[in-house]
Amino acid sequence: MTEEKRINQSTLRLIKDDVTDIDIDAFVFYAQPNLALGAGFGTAISTRGGASIQKELDEIASPIATGDAVVSSAGKLKAKYIIHAVGPRFQEEDTEDKLRTTMRSALKRAEENGFERIAFPAMGVGFYGIPLDLCARVMIEAIKDHLEGETGIKEVIICVLDSREYKPFQSQFAKVEYEDGN
Amino acid sequence: MRWKRRKRSHKAEKVLERLDEKLNRQMVGSLLACVHCGMCTDACHYVLANPGDTTYAPAYKADRIRRLFKRHKDWTGRIFPWWVKAGSVFTDEDLEELRDIIFGKCTNCRRCSLNCPMGVDYATFNRMARGLLVSVGIMPEGVAVVSKDQWEIGNQMGVLKEDYLETLEWMAEELQAELEDPTVAIPIDKMDCDVVYSINPREVKYDPRTIADAAKIFHIAGENWTMPSEGWDMTNFGLFSGDDELGGAVARRLYEKVIELRGKKLVISECGHGYRSTRCEAPNWGKFDVPFEMESSVITMLRYIKEGRIKVDKTRNTRPVTFHDSCNNARSCGLFEEPRELLNIVCTDVREMYPNRAENYCCTGGGGAMSMSEYTPLRLKSAKIKADQLKDTGAEIVVTSCHNCVDGLTDLIRHYKLGMEVTQLVNLVANALVIEKAGVAAEQEDEVEVKGGEG
Ligand code: SF4
Ligand code: SF4
Repeated sequence: MTEEKRINQSTLRLIKDDVTDIDIDAFVFYAQPNLALGAGFGTAISTRGGASIQKELDEIASPIATGDAVVSSAGKLKAKYIIHAVGPRFQEEDTEDKLRTTMRSALKRAEENGFERIAFPAMGVGFYGIPLDLCARVMIEAIKDHLEGETGIKEVIICVLDSREYKPFQSQFAKVEYEDGN
Repeated sequence: MRWKRRKRSHKAEKVLERLDEKLNRQMVGSLLACVHCGMCTDACHYVLANPGDTTYAPAYKADRIRRLFKRHKDWTGRIFPWWVKAGSVFTDEDLEELRDIIFGKCTNCRRCSLNCPMGVDYATFNRMARGLLVSVGIMPEGVAVVSKDQWEIGNQMGVLKEDYLETLEWMAEELQAELEDPTVAIPIDKMDCDVVYSINPREVKYDPRTIADAAKIFHIAGENWTMPSEGWDMTNFGLFSGDDELGGAVARRLYEKVIELRGKKLVISECGHGYRSTRCEAPNWGKFDVPFEMESSVITMLRYIKEGRIKVDKTRNTRPVTFHDSCNNARSCGLFEEPRELLNIVCTDVREMYPNRAENYCCTGGGGAMSMSEYTPLRLKSAKIKADQLKDTGAEIVVTSCHNCVDGLTDLIRHYKLGMEVTQLVNLVANALVIEKAGVAAEQEDEVEVKGGEG
């Protein structure tokens, strides 16, 4: 299961994997405003990455506003850094705009920190209830817009958990009018 | 003076919007049919433990949800709201108050449903109401933690893949040592097996012996079996949280893995809500046409004995035992005779608990209650009914076919100082196994030992 597109000098890939367990410059974590790692991917980050990550986050002034993102190191994880992006949750008002802003903030942090290879989960789907179709459309639009501009990012990976998440992203990939990278 | 419409919070608006989507014929029937006869009242363990407090009565709790239906979906409530007790939610505080009723005062055990002459299934729409609140982020903290773990890690207890695989390897090694046979294995992702075995993450985290015991039974039965490396969790917190999306997604991962492995049958280890979800409810939640057979491991073990694939010696389990029916197994899936048949084959002293089977009382840890620590005192108070039931049997061991019940029972046994042990059928069957070496029945152990449950 993989899809690939070349967007100017960069590659956009869709894979099925655990975003917290891949070798990458940085991956995005759909964070809580208070930056507590908590459950789900947060469990994986703190268990695999060690206590230093939460400790580092505790030093950052919070709450983080919805749509904003901060960066921490990734402890013992395979990734080097984590971009903690606070997105909309649970049918919040203006979900689409807020998700787009969150994507832009995460990409901006990646540029600022010189990350060349970054990975995103399907942002806010599942527990936070962002509709899958909306998520796939907004994420791919935001990434495409960003990679069409001036960028140091060479590769963006969208890392989904299962076939249920894969399918809507696959459909959105098909709509991206760039060459397949495969 | 002009009449002014009361403003609703965004969350309250969203809850009412989604109410429309979630109603189905079965639910509407239950919402309409109650005649407030009160026959369900004494069916509920919360009522029995809180005599005189009408707020625990199933019909009272149901009315807190019913009033929304009456006000927003039923014409009677639009015209005569005061007459049919229609009402609405306006603020986040209203939703939080509702949360404490639907999560804190009901384990969705369905005992009241069984006792209603009108066929009202309160637990079904209580679950629906839970789902409505979860969709706007209003839920007990424990429900949020477990749901997020199951969504993102793939199992309820946040067990990472490497820990799961390591535990299986460790259990296989233990088994090799016990059976003095280096060829014994717990096969992972083996293709074309007759049985794909799925488990509860609690087994990995707190009770790995149940995995080893099941593996031992499969091995002795000569089963062509495997465990999946992914999608292995057959539990489903969607049943408890009312989140059909989660319910469907979790089960789909397991179903798709069985298909990928070309497994012929999915065997579900002893877990009431896992069995009910995976076998009965999730094909609907996930809109999935399941192409293989699904079976409770209780039936698998019984089948092995009847087919002569394993031999057991009941004199290895002589301490008095009683059987606790999991609500999901017994009341919702009709699985109550098979565990008793098996128990009587592997134990010498089985004592019935009253009432039992579909009429049994909840262990009080059902409906996800074990994860909602804010309601623990309430839960343990309501557990008095179960504690009395257990004590009356005079048994030393309570057997159940549900990991959730193991935890619920262990907790109440500790609280009420009953001094009983909790175990599952897989442990008793494994303990009673007669293992023949080179055609000679070899005694496993001289001592009869039955493992206790973990909390
Ligand atoms: S038994 Fe049925 S009809 Fe009677 S009060 Fe209970 S739910 Fe209503
Ligand atoms: S479902 Fe069970 S806990 Fe809930 S009201 Fe009915 S009897 Fe009581």
